[in-house]
Amino acid sequence: MSLLNTIHAALHGITANKLRATLTALGIIIGVASVIATLALGNGARTAVEARFRFLGSDQIQIGAKQALEDGELVPFGKPLSYEDGLLMPQAVELVDRVEMAIYGDGKVRRGRVVLDMQITGVAADALLTVIDQAEVQPVGWPEEEPLSEEAFIGQGRIFTPAEVLGGADVCVLGYQTAEDLFEGDDPAGETIWVTRQRCLVIGVLAELETTDPEQRYRSKPNEGLYMPISTAIRNLYDAPSEDDTPSVEIIANVTDERRMAEAKVQVATYLRERHGVEKDEDGQYEDDFHTTTKQDILGAQQEAARTFSLLLIALAVVSLVVGGIGIMNVMLVSVTERTREIGIRMAVGACQRDIVAQFLLEAMLLGAGGGLLGVAGGVFAVPLAAMLNQGMALLDPASIPLAFGVALLTGVVFGLYPALRASRLDPIEALRYE
Amino acid sequence: MSESTNWHTGECLIEAEGLTKVYRMGKAEVCALRGVDLHIRRGDFVALMGPSGSGKSTLMHLLGCLDKPTAGDYWLEGQAVSALSGDGRAKVRNSRIGFVFQTFNLLPRLSASDNVALPLLYERRTKNVRERAIGALERVGLVHRVNHRPTEMSGGERQRVAIARALVTEPAIILADEPTGNLDSVTGTSILQLLAALNEEGRTLVLVTHDAKVAAYAHRILQMQDGLLV
Repeated sequence: MSLLNTIHAALHGITANKLRATLTALGIIIGVASVIATLALGNGARTAVEARFRFLGSDQIQIGAKQALEDGELVPFGKPLSYEDGLLMPQAVELVDRVEMAIYGDGKVRRGRVVLDMQITGVAADALLTVIDQAEVQPVGWPEEEPLSEEAFIGQGRIFTPAEVLGGADVCVLGYQTAEDLFEGDDPAGETIWVTRQRCLVIGVLAELETTDPEQRYRSKPNEGLYMPISTAIRNLYDAPSEDDTPSVEIIANVTDERRMAEAKVQVATYLRERHGVEKDEDGQYEDDFHTTTKQDILGAQQEAARTFSLLLIALAVVSLVVGGIGIMNVMLVSVTERTREIGIRMAVGACQRDIVAQFLLEAMLLGAGGGLLGVAGGVFAVPLAAMLNQGMALLDPASIPLAFGVALLTGVVFGLYPALRASRLDPIEALRYE
Repeated sequence: MSESTNWHTGECLIEAEGLTKVYRMGKAEVCALRGVDLHIRRGDFVALMGPSGSGKSTLMHLLGCLDKPTAGDYWLEGQAVSALSGDGRAKVRNSRIGFVFQTFNLLPRLSASDNVALPLLYERRTKNVRERAIGALERVGLVHRVNHRPTEMSGGERQRVAIARALVTEPAIILADEPTGNLDSVTGTSILQLLAALNEEGRTLVLVTHDAKVAAYAHRILQMQDGLLV
């Protein structure tokens, strides 16, 4: 019998008992919806990490100084992560070819009679964009899908050169609002302002920025700030930095080979332990005064957080699919019994075993597919629900739809096989006599 | 076997030798057929008579390839069908045998033409299926009922649909098992007349019945008793 005719016969079988078919499919519906929700959780965590840590490439290691909690205050733990630690890293660590560094501090900015308190960010040349990006901002009205470029962030003038960073030149770049506040419409480029105790040449102004997350816009002030070369900032913000009293910088190290991230982390740790003189404690563990983080670490932690929930959903999916599958098997066994005579007739006019198996297997698959379709619809609705229960981190993964649907079909096949085989093994004479 | 196969070159449509069927009922064995020899020529119209329990149904099941003999050989058009597997027998039933049952055995959810077309679908035929089904319905005088379901038809009409289904594959033989058993005498007569007409067109028929008046339509009457032809 041709496939079309087999489908036709199978459809006849299902539509004869619509209510029963629907009830049977319920387990499949719940199972498929759970599969979609589970995959949406994983996808949500991944997407959230992607968005929040966009500044951190998958070939980068974020390195920061460790802090300890002392009397309810965060204080440095061990030695600070110094500018030199970062500067020498590319030469000392085999797998690191370049580093970006930044330092944050509060300072006074003055021009004429206008004095502003603000965050001063010291960065290496490449790091300026990373720092801006890390704040999850973008130029106002930037199209969502457009990748951010360096030019997009510069409103006027330029940003500092590597030579100015290494030389600690007294130059700075202003945030859009800060430029407005200080210069009130005058052209700031080429003007000199005071940053804490130093005179500083304004070389550029950033474009007007907004946070990428619209919900954050009312509280963050992305356009207030002053950026200067990191060495200038350290000199400016801290008194005569000594070996041990230097402020900690944040380092992002670029790894030459993305496949060797774990190895690179070990190399970085070895390098810093040597520079900081880190000793092992009595358990043989290094008491590191720094931490190294990769995107994979963050993703892993995020997924760990969603794990319990995911496991619960997977359990629900498995149980529902098994229950749904048993339901399909049950309905198919009843159907085979009810249609014993039909099977006999079909056999008498020449249906071979394969034809009968195909008919009932297809009917079971259609039950699975129907449940699968409704389950996909249910799953799409379940995703926002899962997001509510998981700190907003659930995002429908388009690939999960064919996957979940396939699982439903497979359930139909697996649980439909036994009834179909049973039907095909009926004795035609007995089947024809069945009342 | 091979020697005897050479003898059976299809001169006779049906040749059966020593057909035996033993059923197992728990521990007891029931011998339904005790070595039946049978020859049916092309164009024959044979009535198989006998009281219930005489083995005529069992013989018809064997002739119709619905079952396998416990012993004995059966050639249909020279083919040794008693040795065939289940699917092999299904193929023979599909293309070489047409069944007409007492209870019509139509699929209630299919239209008359779809019921008639069913054997063609299992033959994996895709061309002219509907045309052939309608042609067969035309032959039994039901061309106006093509799209009706069995539930919308009278008993006589249903049996005509069943006969059309038996005709549609141009089988070697049509086996009719009490075809008038569920019909009133007038309708029954018209069905028997239809079968007789089909025989006149050259079709081979075997009619199973316990009714002498029905058997009278056949050219040859075979009597069965206690699992043997008498």
